[in-house]
Amino acid sequence: MSYATTEQTKKLNLTKTLPFHLLIFALLMLLWEMINRLGIADDLVAPRPTDIVMAMADIFFIDQTVWHHLASTFAKALLGAFIGTLIGMGLAITAVLNETFRKYIKPWIILMEATPRIAVGPIFVALLGFGMSSAVALAALVAFFGPFVNTYQGLMDVDHEEEELFRSLGASKFQTFRKLRLPTAMPLISAGWKLAAASAFSGALVAEFIQASEGMGVLISQYVTMLTMHYAFAALLSVTLFGYILFKIMEYVDYRIIFWRDDQLMYSISEKKRNKMRAPA
Amino acid sequence: MYRQLRGGERMIIEAKKNKESASSDSGAIVIAAQNLSKKFGEHVTALDGANFEIKAGEFISLVGPSGCGKSTMLRLVAGLIEKTTGEMIVNGEVVSKPRTDVGMMFQKAVLLDWRTALENVLLPIEIRRKITQEDKQQAIDALDLVGLKGFEFHFPKQLSGGMQQRVALARLVLTGAKIMLMDEPFGALDEFTRERLNVELLRIIGELSATTLFVTHNIQEAIFLADRVMVMTPRPGRIAKVIDVGLKKPRDISIQTSHEFNVLVEQVRDVFGEH
Repeated sequence: MSYATTEQTKKLNLTKTLPFHLLIFALLMLLWEMINRLGIADDLVAPRPTDIVMAMADIFFIDQTVWHHLASTFAKALLGAFIGTLIGMGLAITAVLNETFRKYIKPWIILMEATPRIAVGPIFVALLGFGMSSAVALAALVAFFGPFVNTYQGLMDVDHEEEELFRSLGASKFQTFRKLRLPTAMPLISAGWKLAAASAFSGALVAEFIQASEGMGVLISQYVTMLTMHYAFAALLSVTLFGYILFKIMEYVDYRIIFWRDDQLMYSISEKKRNKMRAPA
Repeated sequence: MYRQLRGGERMIIEAKKNKESASSDSGAIVIAAQNLSKKFGEHVTALDGANFEIKAGEFISLVGPSGCGKSTMLRLVAGLIEKTTGEMIVNGEVVSKPRTDVGMMFQKAVLLDWRTALENVLLPIEIRRKITQEDKQQAIDALDLVGLKGFEFHFPKQLSGGMQQRVALARLVLTGAKIMLMDEPFGALDEFTRERLNVELLRIIGELSATTLFVTHNIQEAIFLADRVMVMTPRPGRIAKVIDVGLKKPRDISIQTSHEFNVLVEQVRDVFGEH
């Protein structure tokens, strides 16, 4: 049996295309730099790439202001994402298990979907103050939707014959949920977590823009007010950078949990289980 | 001495022991339908007035075109759906809910992708109680019985379609059910795999002395496997004719070219000619 994997071909493709990606990036940066140096664009509007890099070096290593704000925004966003996910998944699971609840919650969900949730920001800040809680609340509010929809969809979307199999084996509702519905839904649930993390960041940042004492939203607005645009860009890129790292971690977790999508991973888990069985108990 | 036996053989010895102890029951009626009907909604009569009796150890094929109520019948025996009128009796009891003395196999293998073959086979026991070391050995033996020795730790996606159905069969064996319901279990497989699996199915079911109700739309397959063939016609779903096969067992694939076999195929075809 061959285990040539999609993961391997992906890696192969990346090593092939990576030089081109870098080349395109370098050319764009060069073009941008030239536009500024030749005086076509104003530094105030579009700061030079080299200035942005210097500003990043400053806020990360010399002045070191960014760490404190990054930590604040990450704490708010992650806590908000966690709370939002908990609420979203809790509602979804209840709706799946209970038909009456499902019927009554539907109009509320539609109502919520129709409301631009970011716009609740000023209200939250007014209610909860400009500390941590308003940002966490807004992050949770915008984050809850992805996990809710995905968990609900995933849990409801079970193959008819699989359900019949469980019924014919005399499985309880809870056993069917635990051993069939939940694992079947895992790919969608995990995708919901990613959505939650991404939207929680927007939520936390918006709350900080409105009114806060610390966080990347505060830092970016301060730099813009002081018209130090290269610093504003540097702050923005810091969020992108750490957001990317978080996203990669979540992708890895997803890959490990839903191992049955990947041949290589299935093969190594098979081997592990086989060896465990062979070892004297 | 016991340890040196192959797993599959061990399984068969167990089954034979049980068979001897239960020999007084052989020939007893295990499935009976009395004027059984099933309607879906107001106008769709999936099954209309079915009457039949199936004895212990019999292999019955249900053959007919799509929409003739074969699958409905199977689900009524399994207790997965409710009858509209009449009575379905399994092992002397009126069927009212899913029964654990009845096992099912579907057109798809219906394996859980995140479980190894062994873990999939153990599912029926896991649903009833905690798994023991003995259960694990039994599952390994069942996989051996269906010809999957050495594949215990493969995941479904690492197995071919035919092998997946073998795992499903091993899982059915482990339910311990003496009544096996099969809904076109090899219908999605290629002709060669299907023929090979049919021969093996006959061997395994014979060895376990199970009672089998096998749904198919393939006439040759229906005759090759069965002691009796129930021919069904659609709109409304009815049992049009029951044919005694009477071919000697064990059967070899070559029997399909014999004169007697083709006479039986004609008998089944004639039913559809009349309708």
